[in-house]
Amino acid sequence: MRPEPVRPLPAAAGPVPAGPRLDVYPLTGRKGFRAAGEVSLPTRGIWERALGRAVREGEDVYHLELSALTFVDVAGADALAGAARSLGTGRRLVLYRPPDSLPRILGLLWPGLTGIEVAT
Amino acid sequence: MTGAAEPVDPFVHPALFYGDAGEYLAGTVPFVRAALAADEPVAVAVPGENLRLIRDELGADGTAVHFLDMREAGRNPGRIIPGVLRAFADGRPPGRRVRIIGEPVWAGRSPAEYPACAQHEALINAAFQGREVTILCPYDTVRLDERALADAHATHPVVIPAGSGAGRASAAYDPEDVVARYNLPLTPAPGAGAEVLGLTFDAESLSAARHLATGHGARLGLSGLALENLALITAELTTNSVVHGGGTGALTVWAEGGHVLCEVRDKGRLADPLAGRRPAARDQRGGRGLLLVNLVADLVRIHTGLEGTTIRCYLGR
Repeated sequence: MRPEPVRPLPAAAGPVPAGPRLDVYPLTGRKGFRAAGEVSLPTRGIWERALGRAVREGEDVYHLELSALTFVDVAGADALAGAARSLGTGRRLVLYRPPDSLPRILGLLWPGLTGIEVAT
Repeated sequence: MTGAAEPVDPFVHPALFYGDAGEYLAGTVPFVRAALAADEPVAVAVPGENLRLIRDELGADGTAVHFLDMREAGRNPGRIIPGVLRAFADGRPPGRRVRIIGEPVWAGRSPAEYPACAQHEALINAAFQGREVTILCPYDTVRLDERALADAHATHPVVIPAGSGAGRASAAYDPEDVVARYNLPLTPAPGAGAEVLGLTFDAESLSAARHLATGHGARLGLSGLALENLALITAELTTNSVVHGGGTGALTVWAEGGHVLCEVRDKGRLADPLAGRRPAARDQRGGRGLLLVNLVADLVRIHTGLEGTTIRCYLGR
């Protein structure tokens, strides 16, 4: 099991994306951020820092625009659940158009979690 | 329930052997009725046809019983402890014994599924040690093979012979041996070929490995939720290899019959047999990746040893 670069077999050839990115931009007109890219091991630190700012800013409602997020792993959901828990009573994170798997992971692994709302 | 001396552990885990519907109902329905009479929470998680037998017999009394079709909720044996048994037991108010009928082993279980079933039955004992819980596990003596019936004597501290009604201590009880015995090397994944995706990954290529796996899964017929699950499973297993399993691993994705299989091998050793089977405490950070894999896969098989760990997940297509 010698490490070697990922190489697709010919039949599986397709566009291989470059290293994953996660870009975070502040929202204009309301407190929150827009995230674009994916939350996985290489980008976890960026995601956790953005959520840390959300917790520190002290707003009652903090908006997360996630329509350009392509993937969130369990550790990314964990960071989100952790941020929601540390908000305290009366404060919440509102998620806009998260990837389908994110509310599903939160429901499976953190049933009954408060402090996160998915905008409909 | 036990004919012999009362066990020290408040957790009670008898195997109930039955040969026909009459013996099935005689062993299960009084168990449910006793729980209802004592105002104890009770759940029945058995294959659909047996669920109907119990439900019909209970009639109106069944409204207070939590029923689950084990063929659905427990298709992956690794899901049963966190997703069925503890999901029910942990959600009940403290102070009352929780009673569950759980039938994870039925005649139609495939050869790939059976070792995971036996390990699951063995691990229930460690998972519920010290809890005020009773889990009664019916075994069909007519349709199950000799091995499954013999294993039930090793995975259950108490056995209730068919038609007897009375339990006795199982002389063959040895759950650790069952966990070790079914820690079997998996049949080798297929080598390179048009229908097989095989690659090695490290921290730099985690994301690419996930994209290639899902692209290949789609070509093999996965879509929707199953494809989303393949992405999640690939991400969690490959990330575990990078973080805990020596930094690199090998990923293989291929199809077998009605399933797409996703396998990750690495040099790590999975020392905790209950890994991925404990619901995490709400405030605990980390340690949920393998739990999610167990909750969403249709089957998870694991082989671990000094030479490394292989985790193989099945997803219906």
